[in-house]
Amino acid sequence: MPDWLAYVNGHLGRLPLSETESSQVREELAAHLEDAYLSLLAQGFSETNAARLVCDQVPSWQQLHRDILAAKSEAFMQNRVSQLWVPGLVTLTGSAALLAVFEFAGWRPMVIPPHGPYSFVIYFPWLFCLPLFGALGAYLSLRARAHGLAVHCAALFPALVMAASLFAILLVALVLTDRRPLGVVAAGFGVFMLNWFLLPGFFLLLGDLLLQLVMKRRLASN
Amino acid sequence: MVSNELKRGTAELAILSVLERQPLHGYEISRRIELDSCGALRFTLAALYPLLYRIENRRWVRGEWEITDTGRRRCYKLLPRGRKMLVPLRAQWADLFRAMRRVARVNHA
Repeated sequence: MPDWLAYVNGHLGRLPLSETESSQVREELAAHLEDAYLSLLAQGFSETNAARLVCDQVPSWQQLHRDILAAKSEAFMQNRVSQLWVPGLVTLTGSAALLAVFEFAGWRPMVIPPHGPYSFVIYFPWLFCLPLFGALGAYLSLRARAHGLAVHCAALFPALVMAASLFAILLVALVLTDRRPLGVVAAGFGVFMLNWFLLPGFFLLLGDLLLQLVMKRRLASN
Repeated sequence: MVSNELKRGTAELAILSVLERQPLHGYEISRRIELDSCGALRFTLAALYPLLYRIENRRWVRGEWEITDTGRRRCYKLLPRGRKMLVPLRAQWADLFRAMRRVARVNHA
């Protein structure tokens, strides 16, 4: 009997999927070809004719390669929503809402120095709550079976959104506003980045890492 | 003989319908559809698997490896979401056939 797995491996080409997923697809296709071949033999076809008819099931391996990837990438998009966008948006909404609550309650940020062109505006109570949101984002992402970078991105989502917004504002400011000295723009940008990206990012990451540590320990103890 | 376009449209309904009766692996699905449709619907490997992977991603079916007489095979089982999808799919196709009967004056064979 022909080696159908070798035949599939020789024709399908490399699938940009995980090692396990790729080998499972190959094994499944080979099993289908083998079943079809055995069925044709049972119907009285010669080995040569049966093999030819089975091979005719795939007119274009390149097209099959594309179709399989299209089907699998649909899953990738769905996973990206559940593993990154939804946890990220929950984290962003929650942290932004909490900041608004603190503002509404009259908790003023610490401004260092209180007067000057570049002040660090630090909301300590809000920052200390951010690990909870980082942990929430990481938990939701992990629950959707994400791993690695996707989990960190979901946890750090509010800080990443803020960094992206600040870069966009910087670009617009550089293009549209009157020409200020580059040092002034850079100093202002640096202060904003520290206030709204580095500090919140640190506390969000702290929650993310702590949660992952706890979950790993729980898994190990189980 | 049914045209290719129409076959593509019937594919999801056909697969879900045969899996409604029992879990089957890929080759069995194609054989069952071919037998039940008296040869009018034929799923080659190239047509079947992209579609199976797509409906598996939508969680209409779930594939699980099983050891059979002929070796390891991935057996597909209809999930509740897939069972739920059968209702509107069947209704859509019934509507289409009714419409075609009226427009083209096609009767059941």
